Amino acid sequence: MAAPLVLGILVAVTVRAVLYRSSLAGFISERVEVASPLNAWKRVVEGLALLDLGVSPYSGDVFHETPLIIYLFHFLIEYSELVFMITDVLTAVALYLAVQDFNKVVFKKQKLLIELDRYASDVAELIRTPMEMHYIPLKVALFYLLNPYTVMSCVAKSTCAINNTVIAFFILATIKGSTLLSAIFLSIATYQSLYPLTLFAPALLYLLQRQFIPVKLKSKDFWLYTTQYAALYLCSLVVIVCLSFFLLNSWDFIPSVYGFILSVPDLTPNIGLFWYFFAEMFEHFSLFFVCVFQINVFFYTIPLAVKLKEHPIFFLFIQLAIISIFKSYPTVGDVALYMAFLPLWSHLYRCKFFVFDSSHPHPHSPWGTLNSNTTDVYCVTYTLYISLLQILLISDYFYAFLRREYYLTHGLYLTRKDGTEAMLVLK
Amino acid sequence: PPLPVAKPVPMAAALPGPRWLPAAAALLWACCGSAATDGIQDQAEQFFRSGHTNNWAVLVCTSRFWFNYRHVANTLSVYRSVKRLGIPDSHIVLMLADDMACNPRNPKPATVFSHKNMELNVYGDDVEVDYRSYEVTVENFLRVLTGRIPPSTPRSKRLLSDDRSNILIYMTGHGGNGFLKFQDSEEITNVELADAFEQMWQKRRYNELLFIIDTCQGASMYERFYSPNIMALASSQVGEDSLSHQPDLGIGVHLMDRYTFYVLEFLEEIHPASQTNMNDLFQVCPRSLCVSTPGHRTDLFQRDPQNVLITDFFGSVRKVEITTETVALDPNLVGLETRVPNDEMATEPLKYAEQLPVAQIIHQKPKQKDWHPPGGFILGLWALIIMVFFKTYGIKHMKYIF
Repeated sequence: MAAPLVLGILVAVTVRAVLYRSSLAGFISERVEVASPLNAWKRVVEGLALLDLGVSPYSGDVFHETPLIIYLFHFLIEYSELVFMITDVLTAVALYLAVQDFNKVVFKKQKLLIELDRYASDVAELIRTPMEMHYIPLKVALFYLLNPYTVMSCVAKSTCAINNTVIAFFILATIKGSTLLSAIFLSIATYQSLYPLTLFAPALLYLLQRQFIPVKLKSKDFWLYTTQYAALYLCSLVVIVCLSFFLLNSWDFIPSVYGFILSVPDLTPNIGLFWYFFAEMFEHFSLFFVCVFQINVFFYTIPLAVKLKEHPIFFLFIQLAIISIFKSYPTVGDVALYMAFLPLWSHLYRCKFFVFDSSHPHPHSPWGTLNSNTTDVYCVTYTLYISLLQILLISDYFYAFLRREYYLTHGLYLTRKDGTEAMLVLK
Repeated sequence: PPLPVAKPVPMAAALPGPRWLPAAAALLWACCGSAATDGIQDQAEQFFRSGHTNNWAVLVCTSRFWFNYRHVANTLSVYRSVKRLGIPDSHIVLMLADDMACNPRNPKPATVFSHKNMELNVYGDDVEVDYRSYEVTVENFLRVLTGRIPPSTPRSKRLLSDDRSNILIYMTGHGGNGFLKFQDSEEITNVELADAFEQMWQKRRYNELLFIIDTCQGASMYERFYSPNIMALASSQVGEDSLSHQPDLGIGVHLMDRYTFYVLEFLEEIHPASQTNMNDLFQVCPRSLCVSTPGHRTDLFQRDPQNVLITDFFGSVRKVEITTETVALDPNLVGLETRVPNDEMATEPLKYAEQLPVAQIIHQKPKQKDWHPPGGFILGLWALIIMVFFKTYGIKHMKYIF
């Protein structure tokens, strides 16, 4: 499987290199869909230039990256294009290895459940076979590498690519079962942008499953492991934050990075939901609505954890999607990460409600000239449209997944008590 | 308009005639030429009499209301003279605090007269007022002088002088001991004015400044000046009032102030080529005519007022000389004009060059200090990374290092 992957990597790197040399690079870096105030390359360069002049890069509202990024790019700024290409390749390789391992786990679990006779008798067509699962890791890696969204955010040199790499390594570490590495990468991902905090729950569930610790509130093992994992996570987070203090000898980065993410002061249009609401809101209510919008991101964790506790990786995928849709400054790079997982669930096609293909329509021109009210309306309608599409996509997958599980346990052809064909209704 | 004071050199024309004529003409021409050369040498010396290359005028009337008609008329008459002698509108900043020409109480609209019986309309038909009505404030006046103007200000409202500009500043209105009233609501003090002039000096905004003020107790306004190259004239001393000249019964107000009236009369005699100097201006309006005692101050001025032409400040006389001769310039021409100091110590002639060490500032570049991450940070980070690496992959790899 290595050869096609290497070929795919080479193709992806060539595409990116070609685009870097063309005139599109400048055009793409200016697009708001690709570069948000949090991860634009222009701002990284500006911050490093301020540092060279002896001024804190966090003074003024320009630079919102964490000190580790400062450290990374201080030495690598001339090779920035290489760095971004390498991060994309690393993400793809990490995802490939993770999905490979995950497939083995899925297959083992399925075998176990069949032997335990948990499945209904007529679900033969829903059972997953090694044949169909053989190409999934490659598909996932290629989906990520050749996704136009990923290419665009790589060419724009948005540091969202680095965030994606960290999350991919976190997923790899979780699936491999290493508590320490998973906690460390999760803490780095949380340190970079606050939202991966919600990925703590699916990772914990998966690791518990791997250790065969059942999720019962009374079980001692469960609490022991949870505290272990949480302690590792929190300690590494604290260590990283304190280490960043020593880079610039100031705590300036906390209001600049986390304060900025949470309080959303920058309202330039992007593909998220925050800007339009807050642009129109009265000052009096803005604190309340900021809290509501931020809670919205974290809110789905617990219900999903309750519902999907048997399927933590699907939970992880849904959670990633929720983060990318509802975070304060989303970009297409975030969307690309969760879209890379779609081949994992392509077996759900039978149970799907809508048939979507992964490319959404792109409204380019209205965002280019933001100088009239009608453009504003176009922007917001397209933003809402894209968010709606994503939400529909995710809920569709969720619904299909649940349906498949139901079919697996209750049989494919459902009959009512009087023998006629039954319909499955989601209550 | 440039006024070339040219001495045309006679050219030898090709005339039909006896053969010796061209030679005789050439000889005559050579003699004339040599005589002319000496004249040209004198002329060349005259170029260095004064150090300015352009002229500016800031004319301010600070009074509002119809009964202060005379202040507007004062300012407009100086404006008229200055324009007539060659300073263009682009180099004049005219500030009038009220509109008299189109005032509803003006029986002769669109006119402002300076002589009774309506002899002279100083309003004319090409007046360009730069700051009008409520824009004439102390703040705007000081901003114009110092150049600290918001970027959106149009050029006509700016004093774009440089270090070779001679500036005439004329102010009129109601004043007192140490202050001048603006618009009936605020005042500018003599200290503020002196500081504004010092800012101008430090920013190289003038070569020489002539300050004329026509108010009651006007001399108090120039008492506090301390910047070099300023000459000041005032219409009255401290404790005296400046009086107005004559009322016009048809218009109903006094038309002009005495001092400016006689200054205007004096300036009407001046034309761009006149050689009248400042000492004559100091004699304008003696006590018998003006009732108040005009004063002047020249101690800050480096040239002898005898050698300062009226047109150095009131006109814009271009020094253009057309000649086909070659003139040898004597490098010692500059700096001929130091006045003989009295008992005080001879201070060095003040020059701009010592004000700011520009050469030093230009050629010294601050070294860009590159930022480096602190050593402790790098150590801590890599120690952590190595610790995690060995924790994950086991201690057994350590043996490959040690």
